[in-house]
Amino acid sequence: MTDGPMHPGRVLAAPVDLGGTGYYIHWGVLQISAANAVFIVLMLIVFMLALLLPFPRGRQRR
Amino acid sequence: MRGRKPRRDPVPDSGAFPKRPYDLVKEFTIALLATVVLTVGLAAVFSSPDETPVTLARWARIAPSDFTATAAAELAGTSGTAQYGPPYNNTPGAGQKIGPMSLQRAAGVTIPINTARDFVLRPLTAAPKAASVSGALAAWRTAPARRQQQWATAYADALGKAPGGDAARLPPGDYGPVPVLISRLLELARAGALDGELVAAGHFYQTDYTKPLLFLGDGSYLEDQARARHLAGDQWGMMNETGNYPGQPWLWLYTLWYQIEPFSSSGNADALVWGLMALFTLAFVLVPFIPGVRSIPRWSGVYRLVWRDYYRSHRTARRH
Repeated sequence: MTDGPMHPGRVLAAPVDLGGTGYYIHWGVLQISAANAVFIVLMLIVFMLALLLPFPRGRQRR
Repeated sequence: MRGRKPRRDPVPDSGAFPKRPYDLVKEFTIALLATVVLTVGLAAVFSSPDETPVTLARWARIAPSDFTATAAAELAGTSGTAQYGPPYNNTPGAGQKIGPMSLQRAAGVTIPINTARDFVLRPLTAAPKAASVSGALAAWRTAPARRQQQWATAYADALGKAPGGDAARLPPGDYGPVPVLISRLLELARAGALDGELVAAGHFYQTDYTKPLLFLGDGSYLEDQARARHLAGDQWGMMNETGNYPGQPWLWLYTLWYQIEPFSSSGNADALVWGLMALFTLAFVLVPFIPGVRSIPRWSGVYRLVWRDYYRSHRTARRH
């Protein structure tokens, strides 16, 4: 079985490959993967949005 | 309290807040659908980690010297597992402690493992074997324990000094039947038979990989693989996933202690970190009863940000 262009593995492969060598941020004793850092930033953004975005105001609000 | 000026804002009356009808089922359905779409979408775009499994067969093929040295240590009873103590064996003095309390010994030996018998002799006995291997097994079994120890230790020491740890380049010595046993075990491992032999039998689903994993962990190959992927304990490995996939960032506090003294150089690190985290967990559960800590939400004023509409209108109403 060849790994040609019509190979089903190629067709079904994910468009973004995260399986390569991991990228890590080092700062003294701290060491964190770039992916984890991105996730933490995203969680902080969602938390801030939850605090700051106004509550949806329904038309029936009294 | 009437007639006295309150020192801080009184707790607002729940009836004073504006109200509106709310469809909880609608919100649940939207949240469920959004989660499903997000999960399927992200899985389609990024897929998931798909590392080649580290098996005994792969180890024996890629790093035969490490496999041979580890198998000799299992036979000699000098490997990490052989001297680990509970839950695998009763090694005197082994076991992590918190002060005088040995948590590891308290649970006792619940998964008894004799590394020579379980990792080497039993798989060799169960597999088809040549007369030389049967003879080597018989010689091992009939020898006194002290003689067995001498053979295995001499073989392990010679392997450590051989160029590249190559078993084929050992100097002549009194190794007894050990070279034949280890050589056959290497053959079985390379063929994939040892993986099957060490997986716990007797269950409908054979998913108990305790023994092959312990055997692998006694060598350096598995640790090298983990270290290359930033999964080792002193690399904040608990938080990490292979490749560029996000891992478990919520374990940052647990893994932090392993990076700093005195935990990073302590032989009792697991017990000490467990004890410390148990204390923190208890403190977290008891937050409502700890003076000062329980007032942080009030001091921080985040609630005023969440309910800013109410506090804005309340302030305006008070002014008028």
